Amino acid sequence: MRRAPGVLASAALLLVLLGSLFPLYWSVVVASHDNAAMSARVPPLLPGGELWRNVHDVFEAVDFQAALGNSAIVAVTVTASNVLLSTLAGFAFAHLRFRGRRVLFGLVLGSVMVPAQLGVVPLFELVGELGWYGRLEAVVVPGLVSAFGVFWMRQACREAVPRELVDAARVDGCSLVRTYWHVVLPALRPHALVLAMLTFLASWNDFFWPLVVLDPVESPTVQVALAHLAGGYYTDYPLVLTGAVLGTLPVVVLFALLARKLVTGLPGGRVNP
Amino acid sequence: MQRAYRTPWLVAALVMVVAGCGGGASGDGRLRLTVATFGEFGYDPLFEEYERAHPEVDVVGRVADFDSHHKGLITALAAGNGAADVVAIEEQYMPRLRQSADRFADLARFGADGLRDRWAPWKWAQGVAADGKVVLGLGTDMGGLAMCYRRDLFERAGLPTDRDQVAALWPTWEGYAEVAERFAGRVTDARFTDSVNTVYTAVLNQAEENYFAKADDSFIGATNPNVKRAFDIAGALGAKGHTAKVATFTQPWNVAINQGSFATITCPAWMLTQIKEAGGPAGAGKWDITAIPGGGGNWGGSYLAVPAQGEHQREAYRLAEWLTAPEQQKRLFVDDGILPSEPEVYRDPVVLQHKDPYFGDAPVGRLFAASSDTVRPNYRGVRDADVRPVFGRALGRVEDGAQDVGQAWEQAVREARDVLR
Amino acid sequence: MSVQWDRRITPYLFVSPFFVLFAVFGLYPLLRTGWMSLHRWDLLAGPVRFTGLANYADLLTDPHFYNALANTASIFVVATVPQLAAALGIAALLDRPLRGRTAWHAVVLLPNVVPVVAVALVFTQLFGRDQGFAAWVLSWFGADPVDWQAHAWSAHLGVAIMVNWRWTGYNALLYLAAMQSVPRELHEAAALDGASRLRAFRSVTLPGIRPTLLFTVVVSAIGGLQLFAEPRLFGGGSTAGSAGGNDRQFQTLVMYLYENGFERFDAGYAATISWVLFALCAVLASVNAVLVRRLVGRG
Repeated sequence: MRRAPGVLASAALLLVLLGSLFPLYWSVVVASHDNAAMSARVPPLLPGGELWRNVHDVFEAVDFQAALGNSAIVAVTVTASNVLLSTLAGFAFAHLRFRGRRVLFGLVLGSVMVPAQLGVVPLFELVGELGWYGRLEAVVVPGLVSAFGVFWMRQACREAVPRELVDAARVDGCSLVRTYWHVVLPALRPHALVLAMLTFLASWNDFFWPLVVLDPVESPTVQVALAHLAGGYYTDYPLVLTGAVLGTLPVVVLFALLARKLVTGLPGGRVNP
Repeated sequence: MQRAYRTPWLVAALVMVVAGCGGGASGDGRLRLTVATFGEFGYDPLFEEYERAHPEVDVVGRVADFDSHHKGLITALAAGNGAADVVAIEEQYMPRLRQSADRFADLARFGADGLRDRWAPWKWAQGVAADGKVVLGLGTDMGGLAMCYRRDLFERAGLPTDRDQVAALWPTWEGYAEVAERFAGRVTDARFTDSVNTVYTAVLNQAEENYFAKADDSFIGATNPNVKRAFDIAGALGAKGHTAKVATFTQPWNVAINQGSFATITCPAWMLTQIKEAGGPAGAGKWDITAIPGGGGNWGGSYLAVPAQGEHQREAYRLAEWLTAPEQQKRLFVDDGILPSEPEVYRDPVVLQHKDPYFGDAPVGRLFAASSDTVRPNYRGVRDADVRPVFGRALGRVEDGAQDVGQAWEQAVREARDVLR
Repeated sequence: MSVQWDRRITPYLFVSPFFVLFAVFGLYPLLRTGWMSLHRWDLLAGPVRFTGLANYADLLTDPHFYNALANTASIFVVATVPQLAAALGIAALLDRPLRGRTAWHAVVLLPNVVPVVAVALVFTQLFGRDQGFAAWVLSWFGADPVDWQAHAWSAHLGVAIMVNWRWTGYNALLYLAAMQSVPRELHEAAALDGASRLRAFRSVTLPGIRPTLLFTVVVSAIGGLQLFAEPRLFGGGSTAGSAGGNDRQFQTLVMYLYENGFERFDAGYAATISWVLFALCAVLASVNAVLVRRLVGRG
């Protein structure tokens, strides 16, 4: 049944390849030209030589360095916390017995698909009362854990951590914290890595909430800075797409490093930061 | 299985966020005052000068585009923190913010009352609340109206390029529309004007009343002939394809200026800096400025206010007071063409004789400052900001070719009534 | 620390961070949104007065709401049908011995990691009216340049293409995983019966991955309900942009929520839209819960 691709299938695969890569290629093309070249009737199809100048201009136009730093802080913190808190709770739901477990897990399940952003107006008020408006806490703290992460880590824990192992650790007199740290976490490592990757991406790419609570000049994440760059007084597409390329580069590099792990462990669902 | 999870980076990251998020005052013990503006206020050199005169103060400017600035300001006011110490407010947002005057420091407390005579009376009046008992903001610039045009494109169209002769082409808006036809007959790779909405706003702003009645703030947009006339004039230009269909201050608008895609634009004084920014050095000398059809008018102009959430309101007031003082207004006009709102300044001979080399040495002093005494503000209703976009989008539909002027008008009136329900 | 205490209390400590954060930043805002929706509530001035269900009554007769709902649904259909079909095709393509498997999977998944803002900016440039790549390609066929944002059909198509580009590969990999867990014997039996490949695909593969198919439809629908960044950036920074075009022709529900809450500062009405969105999500989520159970049940 599983045969090597024929001519037709090869052509189709080529088409998929082109479709996947072309928009990325195109942003590099635009980013490496000046505005005059891009407004010609026949747009250039090959990269030009203006990339460095455009990069320089982006850093002049918005505080992109700060934006990159902010995004890194937000994404790394949110990721670390999600992995830790999701595996902890996932472990508890998978293998520990405690009163109210079913009800509590029902609550997790119920909230998996409901994004917290729907409570955006009061969440905004809350952030104001906490004095977090325009500060990174406003984006970080509400994203510290996701129901999806808990739900998924529970599944992972059931698959990857045999109950006997937990029981054996208990018989050895291992405390639950130690069991978690020395038995559960190492066994969950592949799943946790995929969760980390997806959380990082979702957090890095998040737009709606940061747009509401962050100041585009004072404390932007990369996405907010990009939107600002595109909506502002600045003149050209090459500049805007240079920003887009710069904001994409970190995640693409990360993806290249971890793609092998990611493509094999994709969960059925989307991570909502 | 014994290999423990090594995650010092995890702890490091958590520490980072705690350390990284703590913002605050300047590290060197100076008092840090932030000033939030939009577009071009030309304040950077003034900040430096203020710091030289007040070594204990560190002034930090932050500039956003018009929409983000005001949206950000209002959300910060709602959140109760995050606003700058001094904030710019454009005139069209004043009615809305006057409703929440308690979110701002009453500048009368710091003695702003005594400065009243600095400004043209109407400019002062727009900046106060509670029947003048509360001073909300100090006036910066105003937006006297003129018309900017591309000399190179006019030449190609066989039109005169001299500014007095150009002005003679369009004493009225009907005349302007005729020139648009002539232009389109000769030049096909550029449009006559940028968008329906800049023409519309200019025509609308030549009348004292638009959407709301000055007497009782009731909605009169549906019946006020001023509104209908502005709508028809601008709509006709759009329907006939005389506009480049680029919304003001957007990316395509900048590109269009850069590439000379349109020949004229109604320009309030503050628009000159926008055109310079977008056109860059290559655009120098291509533009000129002349009188606007239908006689003067005012479009825009801003105020500086001090949010009540700030910790250093008195110091912020002092800075705002200095930034809006006649001395500084004069400098801003000479350096950046920002039109003063204070009679002492716009009657100053240096100001009156000022020319702008970027616009072919156009006598901006004579064109803008000289007409300042005759500038009349237009009344803005409390719910102006709810209604204005409705009419703007209606004209956009005409420009898109989705509706004719009549259909667009009917829908706009219906939507405006809906929105005010 | 006593063993007893550890057994009894520690599980709660493990799950409590989630519930504390969920209560403060998930549940509380949601409930308060409900409370706000019963008021005339100004973002700046706070509660003006209690109005009961008046906001809901307004919403049910608000043509802009139905417009946003219809746009959201239309974009969802234009985005999801071709997307899932293409994902199925790609999964079938990848479900065979290939050189550089992982590389192929990575290529397919790559669009999903690109920030949505960057995607929107690139595609908005591609679909530029005056200087876009699409305009140039259309000119090969002698077609006039299309003002993509100006018409409902073209704007929906443009937004849908962005969504598709980002999510097709992701779904393809989900399908692929499901296909590979269809028992081989079924395929072999079909081959013995002399079924054509297409027929085998229809009668063996498709039924085998049906739960995953349903699941992706629901997940896409929930994603579609929240569509914001793509259409918002597609409209550019102009006033018309935040309303989704001059005739609101590509304004989605979340854009309408944003317009009311953060542009017109009508927090009460925005909260009402939130709750309606929440209800829609909840319906979809419960459909999903059933599906999840079935999926998980299969192991």
